[in-house]
Amino acid sequence: MYILEIENVSKVYGTFSALENISFKIDAGDFVGLLGVNGAGKTTLISAISGINHFSGTIKVAGYDVITQEKLAKLSLGVVPQEIAFDPFLNVYQTLKFQSGLYGVQKNKEWIYEIMERMYLSDKANVKTKALSGGMKRRLMVAQALVHKPQVLILDEPTAGVDVEIRKNLWDFIKELNKKGHTILLTSHYLDEVEELCHKIIMIDKGKLVTQKTKADFISANEQLPTIVEIETQDGKFSDNLQSMIVNRIDNTYQLRLENNDQLLFVLNCLNAIEAKILNLNLNKPNLEDVFISYLKR
Amino acid sequence: MSPFFVLIRKETYRFLTVPVQTIFGPMVTAFLYQLIFGSQFQHAQGSNVGFEYNTFLVPGLVMLQVLSNSFANSSSSIIQSKYTGNLVFILMAPLTAIELYGAYLISSIIRGILSGMAVFICIAWFGNLTWPHSWATVCYFLIFGSAITGGLGVIAGILSTKFDHLAASQTFVFTPLVYLAGVFYNVDNIKIPSLQIIAKLDPFLYVVDGFRHGLIHSFNSDVVFSIWFVGLFAVLINFIGYLLMRSGVNMKH
Ligand SMILES: Nc1ncnc2c1ncn2[C@@H]1O[C@H](COP(=O)(O)OP(=O)(O)O)[C@@H](O)[C@H]1O
Ligand SMILES: [Mg+2]
Repeated sequence: MYILEIENVSKVYGTFSALENISFKIDAGDFVGLLGVNGAGKTTLISAISGINHFSGTIKVAGYDVITQEKLAKLSLGVVPQEIAFDPFLNVYQTLKFQSGLYGVQKNKEWIYEIMERMYLSDKANVKTKALSGGMKRRLMVAQALVHKPQVLILDEPTAGVDVEIRKNLWDFIKELNKKGHTILLTSHYLDEVEELCHKIIMIDKGKLVTQKTKADFISANEQLPTIVEIETQDGKFSDNLQSMIVNRIDNTYQLRLENNDQLLFVLNCLNAIEAKILNLNLNKPNLEDVFISYLKR
Repeated sequence: MSPFFVLIRKETYRFLTVPVQTIFGPMVTAFLYQLIFGSQFQHAQGSNVGFEYNTFLVPGLVMLQVLSNSFANSSSSIIQSKYTGNLVFILMAPLTAIELYGAYLISSIIRGILSGMAVFICIAWFGNLTWPHSWATVCYFLIFGSAITGGLGVIAGILSTKFDHLAASQTFVFTPLVYLAGVFYNVDNIKIPSLQIIAKLDPFLYVVDGFRHGLIHSFNSDVVFSIWFVGLFAVLINFIGYLLMRSGVNMKH
């Protein structure tokens, strides 16, 4: 079953087309990264899914149409919006209690305490939201999205402004939720996070779907991408035949750009021919960021 | 408790956490008006539909606070949630437009009536008021009067994108209309015919008049007309408000 179905979704702001005929489907239980540069339309798409943006096309959450079966769709969904939002009249605990009530959840004190704990907000339970720091407010928003244990959790740059350590713990928690069957869709500026966490990648650019693949396919489909190899030789001895491949040199370490993996053998043969002693060799496979940038260049 | 009641309770809690603004403030304001105007005009007999001015003034001041407070509740809650971004969480919640609208409206009515009661307790003795002439009439105008202004508050909150817009609608439209509506004076006393016609076009006049009739049994206009007018006007305003809420204008992009 598809837990999230996006069909021909378009969105126009005035005359500016922010989304054009986006379609994709997400399997239940998947962990999906939504990638795109600033202004690509990620937040616009998420707003359409969460019912705070008008759009054309069809969106279904857990099989429910977000327009015609608004309530059921919304009950299946938890969203952490990109923009900081808080209710200045409530403290942290009240915010979560009220949020639960909005989703018809009662008697969930234990769960609220657990998510406060996991979001490092326990000691702030009785603090008014307006007195929280930016990072705390964002963690509270993550907690808010979780009060009703939604089947689908969407996080729009949830780690912006959150400390490295807490960020890691946040992801651990999200991973646990994913293991328990929650479907996760996230956008993040930190590509390394997406690379580590996500199983599937959906990439949009200028409002259009660029590609959707599993992460492994996404990267392996790009094996033709140049690989950077770092080689450190004794006394910096290096073959003239390789000059054209050098992109950088730091002390005795050379960075070479290989257009394909076969070139590695050629490099080693050249060095062998001049009897250069290799002290260190590092192969940098293209990561998500390289792939991402290469897609944008097309 | 359903999400609808949760939102009502929260919106009610919101104004109860700032009682200085929402309860005590109106009490002090009304007390001052009553003290100053009441003592100044206490002998202005004959122009107050047969009542002492102090007695005439009490229902006006109560209704003034009912109307202002119900307007303030929905309008400021919505505009504030736009500023803090919190509106997004309300819009994402599983509430239909009618539930959302109803929750803002009902909490506004509650606020209006609560501040009206607080004011009444504070100034009733000036006018020697004890038991209302007609409880039913009093309740009718309390509920429908604050439903009109609560609905107008929702509309103003939805349409405003800045505090400035809201302040302008309050200063240039809402407050003049409420003050003109015979809160402090009998509209029939206006000697300039054209002005009197304008005053009689003010919908709040019928709210204040009807309420005054229910409280002290005054007869400065046709109460049956007031009942019909206020009821229908409340329905109209709230229908418009609901349509705006459903359209998502200035709330959804
Ligand atoms: N409310 C709005 N009115 C007009 N244009 C908007 C609005 N919101 C976003 N946009 C535009 O739509 C495009 C996509 O924005 P957004 O979805 O926020 O991108 P992302 O989240 O991928 O950074 C951008 O060019 C942005 O300027
Ligand atoms: Mg964004």
